[in-house]
Parts: sequence; C-alpha cells; structure tokens
Amino acid sequence: MAAVPVTIVSGFLGAGKTTLLNRILNSVPSDKGKGLKVAVMVNDFGELNIDSQLVVSAEQNMISLENGCICCTVESDLIAQLRKLLQLREGRPDAILIETSGVSEPSKVVNTLRYPEFDNHLTVDAVISVLDADQFTNLEGSNKRLAMDQLSVADVVVINKVDLVSAEQLQNLKDNWLFPNACVYETSYGELPLALLLGQQAHHSAQSEHEHHHCDERCQHQHQHHEFYSMSWQSEQPLKIQALKAFFHSLPASIYRAKGFVRLSGAEQQMFLLHKVGSRLSIDRQLNWQGELKNQLVFIAGEPFDKKQLLADLEACVA
Amino acid sequence: MSLPDTSFPAGKDYRSSHTGHGAGLADTVFENGRIYTVNPAQEWAEAVAVKDGVFVAVGSREEMQPYIDQHTQIVDLKGRFIMPGLYDMHTHPDLTLAPGYAGYLDVGLEDPTPAQVKQSILDYAAANPKSEWIFGQYFVHFHFKREGIEADRHWLDSFISDRPVAIHDRSWGCILVNSKALELAGIDANTPDPRNGFIERDGITGEPTGILVDGAYSLIHAAMPPTPAHALQRAYREGIHYQTSRGVVGTKYVHVCENRLDALKVVDDAGDMTLRVEAAISWQDDIFPVRRRWELLAGERHYYRSARLNANAVKFHFDGTHGSYSSYLSTPWPGQSEWRGGLNLTPEHIVDMVVDMDRRGIRVIAHCVGDGASDLFLDAVAEARKRNGPNGVRHQCAHSTVLLDENLPRFKALNVVAEFSPVGWLPEPYARAREVMGEERFDRMYNFKGVLDHGGLAVMGTDWPVSTINCWVGFEAMMTRKNPWFDNDETFHGEAISVADAIRVMTINGAHCMGIEDSAGSIEVGKSADFIALDRNLFELELQGNVHNTQVDLTMMAGQVVWDRNGELSGTPLQAPLNPDNVPNFYDK
Repeated sequence: MAAVPVTIVSGFLGAGKTTLLNRILNSVPSDKGKGLKVAVMVNDFGELNIDSQLVVSAEQNMISLENGCICCTVESDLIAQLRKLLQLREGRPDAILIETSGVSEPSKVVNTLRYPEFDNHLTVDAVISVLDADQFTNLEGSNKRLAMDQLSVADVVVINKVDLVSAEQLQNLKDNWLFPNACVYETSYGELPLALLLGQQAHHSAQSEHEHHHCDERCQHQHQHHEFYSMSWQSEQPLKIQALKAFFHSLPASIYRAKGFVRLSGAEQQMFLLHKVGSRLSIDRQLNWQGELKNQLVFIAGEPFDKKQLLADLEACVA
Repeated sequence: MSLPDTSFPAGKDYRSSHTGHGAGLADTVFENGRIYTVNPAQEWAEAVAVKDGVFVAVGSREEMQPYIDQHTQIVDLKGRFIMPGLYDMHTHPDLTLAPGYAGYLDVGLEDPTPAQVKQSILDYAAANPKSEWIFGQYFVHFHFKREGIEADRHWLDSFISDRPVAIHDRSWGCILVNSKALELAGIDANTPDPRNGFIERDGITGEPTGILVDGAYSLIHAAMPPTPAHALQRAYREGIHYQTSRGVVGTKYVHVCENRLDALKVVDDAGDMTLRVEAAISWQDDIFPVRRRWELLAGERHYYRSARLNANAVKFHFDGTHGSYSSYLSTPWPGQSEWRGGLNLTPEHIVDMVVDMDRRGIRVIAHCVGDGASDLFLDAVAEARKRNGPNGVRHQCAHSTVLLDENLPRFKALNVVAEFSPVGWLPEPYARAREVMGEERFDRMYNFKGVLDHGGLAVMGTDWPVSTINCWVGFEAMMTRKNPWFDNDETFHGEAISVADAIRVMTINGAHCMGIEDSAGSIEVGKSADFIALDRNLFELELQGNVHNTQVDLTMMAGQVVWDRNGELSGTPLQAPLNPDNVPNFYDK
C-alpha cells in the first residue's frame, strides 16, 4: 500500500485554521466513493463545525462522515492515533491532515512522522503555517518561541486576514518573521486552494485532467472548480543535480507543488522521488525501483505560468 | 610509645562480636514523644533509648531509667508524633539533577542567532581545551532559516572540525552535530535509525546531515564521556539530603553504572550519605551505557558496599509507558485488534536473567507498567523459585500501574514486592492521561489495596523526575486518592488505604523491600535507631490537603540526628549536619 500523505496545519488560535479544516471536510467531493477520503486530526471536536447531517458514525474520538472523511481527536498520543488510522479495516484515509493546536510544537509532529516505524506508511506531504496578520505584531515569551517553531518547519506560510491590516503592518510582518525563499500565500478568509493543502488532491485532479484535456495558460476551464493549473513533463535523459536544484530554487512562488521521479547523472541506474511543496524540495533515492528509468514530473500552480520557459529551463538540466 | 593524634584521619569504630561497643549505658534517650512504633506487639511508646545506633529500650519514660548514665544525652520530643523513617523505593536524583551540574555549554541567550551560537561554541572550546566534546544547548532553527543558513554538520565543520560538537535545538526536538561527532559516534550512511527517532539524511547519498532526532541522541550520548563525576556527586548528595529532610531513611536509586556507583561511594566515604541506598545496576544501555556491567554483577559491586550503600540489584525496562501506548497489557489496547504494547526483551530472556540473578543473590527490579508485563515477570520469578529454591532474593515489580486480579496472591506466594508510584494518584490531567488503557482496566489500576489484602508487600517510589521527589504527596494520595490542592471530593481510581496501612507501606514494607526488615523499619529494641519527628499527628487530622505538606522536624538515622529543621539541637553534642540552610528545597508545594 502506498504511504499516506500527511499535511500539518499549524497556527495560533484564531488564525483561521478551523475555517480551513471545515472547508476541507465539506468540499472534498464524495464523487460516489471516488473522492479523496481525508482524515482530519484535531485536538478537540469543538474546533470543527461538523454538520450532523453528514455524520454516519461517531465513536468516542472518531467521527465518520458521509463523504468518506474522518475526524478524530489526537488526545494524548499522536502515534497511537496514527497507528489506529493506518490499521482501519475499511475506509483507510487517502490523506491525513493534522491540526496542531495553538500550544503544541509542529516540529515535534513533523519529527514523529519521520520515525522509522512510519517509513512506507506515512509521508510528510506539506507543512502549512497559518498566521493571522494582526496577531503577529505583538508576540512574546512562549508564544514567540512557538511562532518561530511554526515558521521554521513551514513549507508554506499562509498569511490570513490580510484585509484587516495595513500594507505597512503586512510588510513589517514579512520583514520580521519570514525567511528568504519562503512560499507565502496571502488570503483574507482562509481561502486556500485544496491543491495547495493536499498533494493527493492536486495530483489526483491533475492526472484526471491530463486524461481528458490538456490545459494551457489560455485555458480557463474548470478554473473556478479546481483553482489551479498544472503541467507535466517527461524525458528519458538523466538530469544534473545542481542544475535541477537551481531550477527549483528559481521557480516562481505561484508554482507551489511539483512531484514525480527523476534520474540523476552519476547514478543513472537509480530513481529518485522528487517532492516540492512551497519552499521545501526533497529528492530521495528509491530502493528497489521496478519501473521505467525516466523523468516524470508534474507541476501545480495557483495561477497561469509560462510553460514554454519552464520546459526550456527543464531541458537545460539534462546532463 | 604513643603516636601523635594528627598522624591518622578520623577512624571508624565498626562493630563486631567483640569490638566496637561504646562504653556506658544508652548514648541518648528521647522522651516525651507520641511514638507510633509500627511494631504490632507494642504500638505506642513515649520514650526510646539508643546505644551504638540501635534502640536498646522502647517504652515509658520510667522504663528508660535503667539505661541512663552520666554520658546519656536526654532529648525532649515535646509531645510530637514520632514514627519510623520513610522508604522511597524508586527514584533518580542523578537523572534529574546531574545534567544541569555538568558544566556543559550554555549559549545563555533567549534567541541566539547563528553567529552568536558559533561564537559561544568557539569561546567554550577555548575555555575548555581539555574536554574534547563540546556539548550543550541551544540553537534556534528559525534564525538559521531567516539567514538562509542550513543547520547541518557542514555549518559546524566550517568553524570547528577538530573537536566533536553536539548542540541541542531550543525545542529539544533534535540535536545538531559536526562531522567529528558523527565519526566518533560511528554514525554514517549505513547506521540504522533507532526505534524512537531518526538520523536525518541526505536523500541522494544517504549520508547523515548532522541532525539527529529524538531517540537518535543516544547514539551521541553513547560516544560521549560519561556525566562528569563532580556533577553526579553533587546530584546524589543534594538528592540524599533533600530526602533526609523529608524523613526518608532508605531509598533505591534505580539505574546506576560504574560511574554512578563511584559517585555514591564518594558521598558515602565522606560521611554525607544520611540514608541507606540500594543502587540497581542497569540491565540495558537505554539510559546510559554501563561499560562494566558484568564486572559489577560478577562481584565488583561489593567494592561499593557499606552499612549505607549496596548495589545488589539490577533494574531493567521490560515494557514501555501508558503515555506512549507501549506498556504491555494482558489483552490488546482499546480499539486495537492486536497491539498489546511493546516488550523490550523476550520473555525467555527475562526467565534466564531472573534465574541467573536470583542465584547470584541479586534483586531484580523490573519495570512493569502493563498487566501483561507483570504477568510475565511473575512467571519468571516462579521459574527462579522452582530452579533455585523458594528462599531466594525478594524481587521487585516496579510501577505495577495495572495488575491482573489473578496475580494479586502471587506477590506473597512468590515473595515479590509490588512497588507503586502514588505521587500521581490524584485527579489531575497528567494522571488522567494514563486512563488511555480503557475503562475495563480502571478498577485494576493502582491496586495497592489488592496486593495488601492478599498478604503481599506493597511499597512506594517517587520516581523523580517523573513525579516529585517529595514522598509525602504520594503518602497522602494513597490514603485519599484525592487532589491535595483542590477543595473537592473528586477521587481517582483505586481504593484508598488506612492511615495505619499507609504508614506500614512507607516504613516496614520499605525495609522488607531492601531486605533489612529484621534490623530496621520499625521502632523496636535491637533495630537501627531510625525515626522521624513530625509537626503533626497523622492519626489526628483531616487527611486531604494535610499530609502532603507535613514537615519533618527531626530525622534520626542509625542513632544520629541528621536533620534538624528548627535547630533545636544546635550547639549540643547531638547537633545535626543538615538544616534548612544547607539543604536545597526541590519541592515546597
């Protein structure tokens, strides 16, 4: 079974995480069982507005919804709850989303997911830090430490409620808190594209779209629906690692995800899994690769982008 | 010819059949006390006489008269409640205190930048040219990100590559080390990840980046020199003295290595060991490496032996904890089809080990949180009794958080002590977290009373730093199962025990647990003269909220008053070495 991707959403109380989580639970299409089954892990059900009409079953700390989604509380132990989700006989989630409360350190959650016991079972898909633009102006003591922890592990920084602050405040926040190459997404009401939050959603949809219709920058079809643009690329030749890293480093921020497999020069008989989310790029050697030796990458962006330029830049990475 | 007095250090007047007995009648008589003896044949007394560290008379004031001569010191107990000294059968002052006393690097800034961390490391290196390792805290990932610096071994190597460096992250989620540290710890692309953590690696080459997470710290700790002797000595000395100030006369330091035993011996030789210590040698290297384990177990442990110190015990970690769902239960965890928890060693390993240790006269102290773990441990003891005979060492089942009802009679039958940690037996969030084992097990949790009702021996341990080292909190909790600081009647799982039973648990049962019940643990003629004088009478108070904060006015250990809270004996020949001015107070809630 493929590893289940996990997205971690951190942020202080009031930053807008609940809005985000509710959107996921309510908008992931059920699509007659073909849709994504997302498990949302929260500290307390009170953080969610679960529509009781949608609930099919509810246990002490797990609620199943009509669309296949699951909500559960983490209670004292994340590891045990993750084990439980992975061992579900039916309805094993396609993706897991963990909300870290305003008091726990997301770095610890990220570390836990990388324990050897979860190798091949779980993979960190994205770490999203949601900030309330206004809250971030006066942070002290343990809250300041926690904010640093949240940002230091974030792949994507979402600045929420930007409509409530001045341009100057926003700039101050960026100057004081963000790091170079941070992938920043500004919003007013926690409106994030699902494809940014959930890699499964992005790649699942990109694939089905690929089958039916090839998008280009002029094509606006289904844009309102999917809120993203995608492009895929294939090639046989191995790539130069330094050039590839430089290529990803200089990608426009609007291209927030890329995923696929690559060949690298110097290790031509091996394949590497490439995963880019926001500012994080990981390239991991695949053991016991059985498939074809060729590059296959899918790029996902929040707005139209120059595909020709991207293709040319990619070709330049070929060894 | 006589030698000048100054030629010799202070001598020790050991007692044996024909030597070492002081002249005259009783050395001291303590009168005017309300003395609860824990001796069923004579429950109460008003005075005691002590000679050569042993009670020679217990009874009324008149009965002391024949023991008094001109050298006898007479002390007025002022009508206070007196009872035997207390026994804390499981605690760890070394693990709690020593790292803070080791003199490791401390950057000392709330929010250090990479440049400040670098400068601090370089300064420490220059100031400590002899200590090879540079180890300490801390750096802040956030500031590395802000400056676009990768926190990895290459960064450390760029300014210090000839000495091993390991520095913790502020949130303590990981440790950053340089290439030299990785080399000395033998960590490379082929090193497997530990179970409860991982070695961060370059995805392409598999080489370690220099970031080690959680359980992977132990790989570095194993390569580092042990905690410095001065830090261990200070930790033990302070722990012992605090315990003495709380009335403890016997304790177990559960987990030691050769370095810890060396430190304890220094404290003992200096005359600073104001209580009796049984030290249990670690069976596993999971907390710190024990390099001389087999030399110690084969007999080197006797080198440390004195009237106050012994190392005739081993401690092992059998199962995990409830918090991490790893304690080993008799049936699967709630909601799980198979997971019963984890065992660190096979049952066969435990049987062979218990049989072997039992034959050597070494007490086995087994960490058994789940009811499945204690069942296996009792089976192992049963096998040892079968093979080695029924009169072997009394073994100890540590924590005993949940027990099978079927095992309650086995503690007596197999001569195994059930040790509990009642400091957490009160309604509060931390304790509630242990309710994860499921409702059907609630009634079997913390079953002190079940063990006692079946004739078994139950004792308590504070398990510092898991809970506070002040044993009075647990003393109250075992009698109330209520929160001492809340004014409500909410009770915790399990049945409370009576004051008389709780006092036995805290005193004579502890002496049994240390194998000294014939010579200590109650106020009886012929036993070690240990007692404590309290500021309140435990039989005459509302228990909830009024036992945990009991103050010990005097602690007497083997005939010497070692703690004198109010200085009532200062300036007399009985002046105590310890008082509130020279004992750190680790807990004053």
